[in-house]
Amino acid sequence: MDEGRSRVRIFSAIVLIILGTLSLRLVKMQLVDRQSHTGKSENNSMREHRVQAPRGRFFDRNGTLLVENEPSYTLYVTPFYFDDETIPLLADLINEPDSSVARQIELARAFSLHRRSVVRSGLTLSELARVLEQRHVLSGIDYDITQKRAYKTDARFTHALGYVREITAARLAKMDDNSTYRRGDPIGQGGLELEYEPYIRGAAGADFKMVNIKGQVVDDYLGGKMDKSATSGMDLTLTIDADLQAFAESLFVGKRGGVIALDPNNGEVLAMLSAPDYDLNLFSSRLDPKTWSDLLNSPDEPLFNRVTQSVLAPGSTFKPLIALMSLTKGAIDENYTYFCNGGHPLGHGDFYKCLAKHGSLNVESALKESCNSFFFEMMRLQDVNSLHDFAAPFGFGEAPYLDIARSEINSGLLPDSAYYNSRLGEQKWTQGTIMNLGVGQGELLISPLQLARYVAALGNGGTMVTPHLVRNMVDQETGRVEVPEIDPPNKIDVNQRYLDIVKKGMRRVITEESYWLEIPGVTSIGKTGSAQNPRSGTSDALFILAAPAENPQIAIAVIVENAGFGSGSAGPIGSFMAERYLTGRINPSRDIYMKSMMSRKSAVVDGN
Amino acid sequence: MRTWYRNLDPISLIAWIGLVLFGLVAIYSATHGPASEVASFEPKDNFNKQLIWLGISVLGLLIALVLPIRFFQLAAFPIYGITLLLLVAALIFGREVNGAKSWLYFGSTGIQVSELAKVGTVMAIAQLVGIRRPKTMDLKFAFMLVGLIMLPATLIVLQNDTGTALVFFGLIPIALFWSGLEFNLLLIMISPAIAGYLAVVSQTWAFVFAVLFTGYMWWRTRDKRIGVVSAVSTFGVAAFTQFAITKVLSGYQLARVLSFTNPGDEAFRQNVGYHQVNSMAAIGSGGFAGKGFMEGTQTQGGFVMEQSTDFIFSVVGEEFGFIGTMIILILFATLLIRLVQLGANMKHPFGVMMAGGATGVFLIHVFINIGMATSLLPVVGIPLPFISYGGSALLANSALLSIVLALHLKKDDFSIYGY
Repeated sequence: MDEGRSRVRIFSAIVLIILGTLSLRLVKMQLVDRQSHTGKSENNSMREHRVQAPRGRFFDRNGTLLVENEPSYTLYVTPFYFDDETIPLLADLINEPDSSVARQIELARAFSLHRRSVVRSGLTLSELARVLEQRHVLSGIDYDITQKRAYKTDARFTHALGYVREITAARLAKMDDNSTYRRGDPIGQGGLELEYEPYIRGAAGADFKMVNIKGQVVDDYLGGKMDKSATSGMDLTLTIDADLQAFAESLFVGKRGGVIALDPNNGEVLAMLSAPDYDLNLFSSRLDPKTWSDLLNSPDEPLFNRVTQSVLAPGSTFKPLIALMSLTKGAIDENYTYFCNGGHPLGHGDFYKCLAKHGSLNVESALKESCNSFFFEMMRLQDVNSLHDFAAPFGFGEAPYLDIARSEINSGLLPDSAYYNSRLGEQKWTQGTIMNLGVGQGELLISPLQLARYVAALGNGGTMVTPHLVRNMVDQETGRVEVPEIDPPNKIDVNQRYLDIVKKGMRRVITEESYWLEIPGVTSIGKTGSAQNPRSGTSDALFILAAPAENPQIAIAVIVENAGFGSGSAGPIGSFMAERYLTGRINPSRDIYMKSMMSRKSAVVDGN
Repeated sequence: MRTWYRNLDPISLIAWIGLVLFGLVAIYSATHGPASEVASFEPKDNFNKQLIWLGISVLGLLIALVLPIRFFQLAAFPIYGITLLLLVAALIFGREVNGAKSWLYFGSTGIQVSELAKVGTVMAIAQLVGIRRPKTMDLKFAFMLVGLIMLPATLIVLQNDTGTALVFFGLIPIALFWSGLEFNLLLIMISPAIAGYLAVVSQTWAFVFAVLFTGYMWWRTRDKRIGVVSAVSTFGVAAFTQFAITKVLSGYQLARVLSFTNPGDEAFRQNVGYHQVNSMAAIGSGGFAGKGFMEGTQTQGGFVMEQSTDFIFSVVGEEFGFIGTMIILILFATLLIRLVQLGANMKHPFGVMMAGGATGVFLIHVFINIGMATSLLPVVGIPLPFISYGGSALLANSALLSIVLALHLKKDDFSIYGY
């Protein structure tokens, strides 16, 4: 055989052996070990970006948009790619001190070198634009569009709505493995945002992005094939009337206190306000720590919902209940009279005093005059357990339902003999101890929300409604409407004749106690009160009202802290609100007084 | 039917065209997608530049085809001389690129003269074989041939371009093989490379190879001298390699040599090993069918360094998968085997050595380049012929191919020498 030919064969064999070796290597890499290489390649270049779902929007009872979402920009860092030399530049672009950016980078590094962390949320579009201009220098920096809450009306609805914050690490750590919450997710804090979190949250989606070696997003991963879009949360239609709410808020400017207005027919909350409140916009973008500590430490307690959380002695607003009980239990009849000599005979000095020498009073005039002597006498005639059993169905002593977090609702206190036995000891308390209850003082603790339910029941003939803020929930995609389940109204067995007597007394409170309580053209019933409070200063002014008397459409409970008598400030606020709701306006004859109410400040409010 | 193009070989032409086109596609993907965002220069130019160099190469092919056959033989030594001068010039006036001073600039156009030196050297050794016609054990000839190769190789080592120099060293046994020397001699010449490689990968395997090889050579020749030389070239080289790894080399050099054995290791992660990890991730994740043109996440994210040049195979592997890599390997196998057949057909030592030398150069490049991209070998910066971006390399490799095709086209003109 030809020598040259054999060398060609040998050489060809060597070529095939070498290329064959390479082929085997490729078989192993591309066919056998493909998965592990794919994993490595994905670690390199695939980044999952969570797409936050738009939270459900809030509408008022008339369809006015209250809360929606608007884009907000969040800046992220992937520490692996980040160069610390660029800290001053980045800090300058986002108007932060160098030290604070450096601290964020440090935290991000501690979390993960290769996963991204938030450097700064709540960026404005112009800040973002400035950062993007320098993007080629700022390796490891990228951004996402997230949603933030946008409040669309002048009214603030602060305590009803609650706010949304990024979930904390501690909270996240406590959640179980099936939780769909991830770092950076928003979560409702307080109010409706918290209570309806599962409905309005929606479901987050995911975008898979391809990043380059500098950690910058260059494209969709696999053309976006793996992306999962987010599902919007359900929209809430609230029971609140935005106009009434805004009006109430303007009446409470410069005051501390709260008001809640219910529809006595179904428990829908028409307005709910605790003052002072705070601007929810503070929470929809970055909240600086100083603002937060100011809110926490303010002596005005703006974070506190006075309508549901503050409990106090109901004072004279409790008297209609005592009157109704006394008639119902037969302690007195409608012809009964009592002579007020400026105080109850069992008392001496400051004890069991009345505000005036009212003379001879029947139950109706006793209510109108708010005569303490008369109501001390009522409790002298009856025992505490009768009061407890009679008052309990009106919702006192138990936490009323409202569709906000249970922790934000105080149950108050309705004492019975067991309470006194344990508190003071058996035989250590007397009839005299409980006579204070007759005028709504003593151990009684009641929240404005409880007062509102109570006056609604007085107005509507004894039906206890379940207060609620949400009328329905609408699925944005399917249009399906869901109505939250609440307890149906509960009818208390009251004698309508006796109730009418009480209402006549309450009617006279409106017409005779103060000029500013009567709503022109609308008959209403009400009761003022003042409650001693543990704080210093003047007692708190209370007022309850239901109107129109013959067929109530609104029931209101008002508290103005440190404002003294109910007829002075709490009363007019309730009266104006009812008028505004029922007639849509304020009668011009009352305009001047309304304006003076708006500018009146209660004693201790500092700052705004 | 004796048409003029009867001896123009279509198979190698088609393989060449296939490789060049595949290369252009890969270069385009590596420079026109999102990958271009991370490059430090204007990479879109690369594709266009490569097209221009391809035009020049095609022109070169056409010129080669019309030149008289004697031209190549006559021009062999002068061209060799010129390339040596260019190498020296590059050492003096050259510009340093990636640490190697092997580039000469004419205006803005850079020429990597070490690439051109390959052509000159292959022509020179072909001419040497053509005039000398060595017998099986012509040691003087062997020294001359090794000298012809070592001269440019030394200059290139001085330029600090070890990768390209390796190709020249690898050319020595191949040139000797095609000179018609005895196989035993060849085996002994190849054995140190294998022993050295195995010593890096596994001492046990190096020892096993040394025992088997020495034993085989002894059994085959029953010649004491051969046995001793075999032992020295295997045991000796393996021991020396071990010594070099443990005592001589340090830091970066050592990492460079060792990293391919375990590129994922943290110790290598920040330097060359990182290239190989990412190259393997790219190729491996391509799977059977690849991620698609311009869809490779490793490629488009710029994770593989030098991906349009030395690591272009990772682009092919990732975006075109196993199908793509096999097409490349089959094209190379076809081209290489076909070229040596053409060489043998010429029945003239000049033609045989031209074809053998050209295929030798290609084979070394393919083996080292793909071996490096797949972590079979350490990182050695040499391009994949016809595929990688790089004008000088494309021109030089195409020139080698063109000369073989031109010689074969006119092989009948060799016949008067009756070989």
